[in-house]
Amino acid sequence: MAHRFFDFISSLKLTIVCLSAAMILVFVGTLAQVNFGIHEVQERYFQSLVVWWPAGSQGLRIPVFPGGHLIGGVLLVNLVAAHLRRFRWSWSKLGIHLTHAGLIILLAGGLFTDLFSVESFMRLAPGETKNYSEDSRAVELVVVDGSDKEFEQVTAIPEERLKRGGTIALASLPFRIIVRHFYQNSQLQPLDQAGPNAVPAASQGVGARVAVSELPRATAQNEGDLVSAVIEIAPVPGPDVPPSPGTWLVSGQLDTPQTFSFAGKPWRLAMRQARYYKPFSLTLKKFTHERYPGTQIPKNFASSATLNDPERNESRDVLIYMNHPLRYRGETFFQSGFEENEAATILQVVYNPSFIAPYLACVIVGVGLLFQLTWHFVGFLRRRKTHPAK
Amino acid sequence: MKFPRPLLCFGLVLPCVLFSACKDKNAVQVYRVSKGESDAAAPGNSAPESPGTGVMPAMGAPAEPGAPASVQPPQVTGTPPSNWEARPLSAMRQASYLVKGDNGATADISLVILAGPAGGALDNINRWLSQLGQPEITAEQLAKIARHVASPLGDATVVDLEGLPQGGDAAKDGRIVAGIISGDSRSFFFKMRGNAALAESQKEAFIQWIGTMRQGESAPPAGPVSGAEAVSPAASVAATEPVSATCPVAGATPVAGPATCPVAGTAPAADSEKPRIKWEAPAGWKPGATSAMRQASFSVAGQDGESADISVSVLGGDGGGDLENVNRWRDQIGLGNVEAGELKALVVPVACHDGEIFTVDMAGPKARMLVGWAKVDGKSWFFKLIAPDRLAGGEKAGFEKFLRSVQFHP
Repeated sequence: MAHRFFDFISSLKLTIVCLSAAMILVFVGTLAQVNFGIHEVQERYFQSLVVWWPAGSQGLRIPVFPGGHLIGGVLLVNLVAAHLRRFRWSWSKLGIHLTHAGLIILLAGGLFTDLFSVESFMRLAPGETKNYSEDSRAVELVVVDGSDKEFEQVTAIPEERLKRGGTIALASLPFRIIVRHFYQNSQLQPLDQAGPNAVPAASQGVGARVAVSELPRATAQNEGDLVSAVIEIAPVPGPDVPPSPGTWLVSGQLDTPQTFSFAGKPWRLAMRQARYYKPFSLTLKKFTHERYPGTQIPKNFASSATLNDPERNESRDVLIYMNHPLRYRGETFFQSGFEENEAATILQVVYNPSFIAPYLACVIVGVGLLFQLTWHFVGFLRRRKTHPAK
Repeated sequence: MKFPRPLLCFGLVLPCVLFSACKDKNAVQVYRVSKGESDAAAPGNSAPESPGTGVMPAMGAPAEPGAPASVQPPQVTGTPPSNWEARPLSAMRQASYLVKGDNGATADISLVILAGPAGGALDNINRWLSQLGQPEITAEQLAKIARHVASPLGDATVVDLEGLPQGGDAAKDGRIVAGIISGDSRSFFFKMRGNAALAESQKEAFIQWIGTMRQGESAPPAGPVSGAEAVSPAASVAATEPVSATCPVAGATPVAGPATCPVAGTAPAADSEKPRIKWEAPAGWKPGATSAMRQASFSVAGQDGESADISVSVLGGDGGGDLENVNRWRDQIGLGNVEAGELKALVVPVACHDGEIFTVDMAGPKARMLVGWAKVDGKSWFFKLIAPDRLAGGEKAGFEKFLRSVQFHP
């Protein structure tokens, strides 16, 4: 049984099937970008084990095709298994072994990048200091306990958890949060502008004066969803239950946190871009944007910043500009863009623990191919010397 | 050399083990930050959701005050008493101190500067009274309890308010001594809140501090700065700091009392994430009530009881899209939708102080609407005038002048 399994997992047929499936997936996924946009397609087709149909449905769904992770994972296992199973040490095969090892590293690196890498951005105005970056696509609901004189306790609930709905009971909160409605993309309108049949989104706060309507997901590359949710602050069942503060609308469109009181304590609610905190901070000293004379074509844009890391007792100036990122503590800060009138710089922050994999893989594959070609070429020359052409 | 079977199995299983160790990026995070500066600290542990409904002790070690984040340079300086400990500043707080007494008693002292009259003295004092669980007072009662202190910044109205809110900690609460210097362009709010006896003992020092305030450079810290030098704004201001009743930003706690918007208006920035904007409204425009969605409101009376409603509002992102918005407005005044290609011909750009505002002028059977919008710093600003055709036409020049006066980055 084990033999048959290893025969199957290391077979060339499986390789062909996987490569064919990958081609079909890339083709279908490319076409699907017209309707779903690049980010949605990446999630549904390439960063998933299976492709579900109908897409985006909350009800019954059928897996219709293997997703990118499944195909890539099987291909990786197939390659490793085939290589190990057929491995025979000899100098003449060293180039092939190296080439295969490079491919394995490339595939594994791709999978690891997909699973572990995090991309975010840091917007810094001149003089501003930040010790966090923000996710451009994911949001989080923050519930802040402001009862302490010196500290605030922040509970950040990720978008994915809100999307699942239901009741959220957390150790850090003396109440439960019940997700009444979750809107992946939405539009908020004042009640007086939302039509005669509009109803308030919630009973408390801004939601009592605003109507929410669901919108299709944003598909254009330069658009994003406006995530909103209606949540209820519900007391934990038991004796002496305080009254419920009611339902609240939380949305990325509401700039200011909303406040409520629960059991005599002040609390705040806000939906904001998900944050990734760091043990160090960056202060933007100066942002420069040079253009070619007489044109608006960017020649160079650079951010001069101060890096301050209290844990490592490190404070130094850094210059981040095009093709010269800052690499620090496993993260890479690229000069990504800037706001109008140079009001702020925008740094792309990439955490990718396997960023070295493609470079390493290319070197190993290159060395392997070079060795194999050289080996054959030397052999060829030797044969010609031994058996010269007549 | 044949590869050993156990090693082969290990090679196949290893990736699975590594993947199973993948950290869940979607875990709930719980962390602590310095008061009023929820932007500035590192997160603590992830908190798993507790099964059932029981309340478990808070998880996560208390985080240290984080690295400094954004701050504006202090606009005024003063000389605080030497026993006041300087505290981290925020976008709201131009000065922040803590004074400690016996038996854990503390009092928090702050200076907040807001644009415009910011609700005025009476509304803010009544809001502070409500924070202490006390009933509101009238202007006449305020005149009786207020004390006036001369300062280089202007005449300060100083009040001493007592009361412990329900559930309040007497060691840290029970009294507010506050001074307000209210002006047309900006207002200064000096506030000391804390233990009643400690606040009483610090009252004269507090009043003297107000008297030393002047325009200038950074105020020298009275003592060692605890935590970061300066930290970013947080969401805390809504409950604890003066909030302008004139042009509250969307979502802010509404302030009791009549809401009026100054003719030369500013939507105050309670923290750096909130919008700042300035404009000059025509003389004939009467400020009206604001709401969560309206940064400012004006009205203009016309002939035969006609009136024009003018509003300023801000939404995040693109505000719903230009075409969708224009068609929604057209629908409101009884006009049919336009296609994307037709929209371009309707839009007229108007240059304002630091940018461009796109405008449309639409006259329908129900009303005429003049709308301007601009996308600034990831937000969409909308300036809207709706009125009967004749009145809207008469106000069009004033409306465009109003748009030209807008400063998004004052």
